[in-house]
Amino acid sequence: MTAIMDVLVSFIIGGILLMIILTANDIAAENNTVYNGDMLVQEMLISTCQVLEGELRNMGFGVAETVTTIVEADSGAISFLTDLDRNGTVETVRYYIGPTSELHNTQNEGDRLLHRTVNAGTVSSIGAVTIFDLSFLTQQGDLLPRPVPLARLSEIHTVEVTIEVQNPYAPLNPMGDNPQALFSSSLWQQTRLASQNTRR
Amino acid sequence: MGGKAIIIVTIGLGFVLGYISMNLSGMATRSVENMSNYAMATESHNLAITGANVGLSKFYGDTSWSGTMTQSFYGGGEDNPLGNLSGSFTVTMEDLTPTSARLRSVSTYNSSGEGSIHDTVEVFFDTEQENGFSLYAWLTGFEGNDDFWVTGDTIWGRAHSNGNVHVNGKPVFYGKFTVSKGFDPKPGVGTNKAVYKGGYETGVATVELPNDLSQIEWAANNGGRFYNGDIWVVLSGSTGANEDGFAIILASEGGPVLDTVNINDPGFNGVIMGEDQVSILGTLDGQLTIASQNDIYVQDNIIYENRDLTTSDDVLGLVADHSVIIANSAPNNPDCEIDGSIFARSGSFEVEDITSGTPRGNLKVKGSIVQATKGKTGTYAGGTLKKGYAAKYRYDDRLADNSFRPPFYPGYGVKTYEISNWWENVRIPEYAD
Repeated sequence: MTAIMDVLVSFIIGGILLMIILTANDIAAENNTVYNGDMLVQEMLISTCQVLEGELRNMGFGVAETVTTIVEADSGAISFLTDLDRNGTVETVRYYIGPTSELHNTQNEGDRLLHRTVNAGTVSSIGAVTIFDLSFLTQQGDLLPRPVPLARLSEIHTVEVTIEVQNPYAPLNPMGDNPQALFSSSLWQQTRLASQNTRR
Repeated sequence: MGGKAIIIVTIGLGFVLGYISMNLSGMATRSVENMSNYAMATESHNLAITGANVGLSKFYGDTSWSGTMTQSFYGGGEDNPLGNLSGSFTVTMEDLTPTSARLRSVSTYNSSGEGSIHDTVEVFFDTEQENGFSLYAWLTGFEGNDDFWVTGDTIWGRAHSNGNVHVNGKPVFYGKFTVSKGFDPKPGVGTNKAVYKGGYETGVATVELPNDLSQIEWAANNGGRFYNGDIWVVLSGSTGANEDGFAIILASEGGPVLDTVNINDPGFNGVIMGEDQVSILGTLDGQLTIASQNDIYVQDNIIYENRDLTTSDDVLGLVADHSVIIANSAPNNPDCEIDGSIFARSGSFEVEDITSGTPRGNLKVKGSIVQATKGKTGTYAGGTLKKGYAAKYRYDDRLADNSFRPPFYPGYGVKTYEISNWWENVRIPEYAD
């Protein structure tokens, strides 16, 4: 009889422990995914921002003063002239946001690729973002209309860049009737990005 | 038996959960580290920019400065205005070429745990800039001792003289008039009733004329045309359509024809030079500089095909190593018109046989006039023209843009410390593992 009681109590305690383990595993897995997503998003954002920020700072390097540095300026695209590799040859660099259909296979419906081309050559994607928004301001701080008309491109003095990155996949929040994906999100904004070369 | 199993299971579970917890906290830490690294990279970058600005301030305070300068910062402590910033920047100023210089600022940011982070900002300067002489509507090395600006004389555009400018009356100067010496008499004193609409300045640095025309000679022999002996250049606008003008080169007024130059031929660089006297007349369609290693004689009107300077792309330079002379020819009597920039390196812009004959009407120049010594184009007595021409000069405003001038038109160097380029390094992200 005692042995049977021992076995029953062991089963009960074992069951409770098993449930604790399973629950802990679920929570750990979810947290792991969320933290991993956070880190992934941050890495994507920093990577994208540093490349973009670095190149925008050097807009107009090696370009004659009489030449307009920015040749295209829209809310989701910018083209500018710069001597990227400092070899005396000026290149045209273009950044533009692609359509959401490019990443329709991901769980996140809002993510899209940020593309970069040099001299209209091979398109390379420097990151996946959910927001890529550019604003253009004059030296007096007036906001220019977008797209900036050709005749006003030379008025651009500073560029405001806003980027948001979310992870492409995320666990579903099981709470509630309509589970939402727990996308990690990170926002970066450079409110007054000005290349010294456009100020000459 | 059962109790031991539970203890073993509990300990095992503790290990598993501890391991998971450690992983989670490690991931969270690395997450923060990434942002921290970005912040440190930004700090390092800002430190380099600060160094560049400090260096610029020092340089503009003393443009003879070159060398290296280092400043260090030690942060930490609650009351330290630097916060936790700890690092330094080193600024180096050096000449790259005789006409360019570079200021380089390298930052060292001391980060806790990551060692030192360096960033670089480079500022490039043009220390000398070449300005075209055509920026001046009027420039003389020497104004003469007895040649006065009088009532009715007008200069539209910028003017300069390396010598004294003599005024006797009320001439009007629309652009700024600079002189290396002074006005005689001083503005507003005695007979100097000149109107300086653009202002004036005395005692400014001289604008030196070149020692020779070697640059134009080189251009004439490399993509242009060079002819020995005397030549005549007859310009033709051809059909009146834009960009189809040509120049006929003759050995003398009556020929023979030595050459025909299509001015707008892409293989032609726009320079025609003669070894000796070069006589010119006609209508120009295109951009051209005609030069002489001796004198240039204007035999008849020289005008642009499109004389509306708001739409015209025609531009002419008449560059003589000695003088540019209005010939005492039948077509030039009365009146002579020149559309173009005149440059007399060691001589004057003058009129041939000015002491002979009767008044020859108006001499109209639409362009720029640069000469070593102010030449006489007319003589007056009691305000009435007695010999030569009544000068009527207008500046071609297109020439006020330094990038717009006749091909290979002479220029002069000016000291400048203008920032030509600014470069900042692009940091490639490094993530915590």
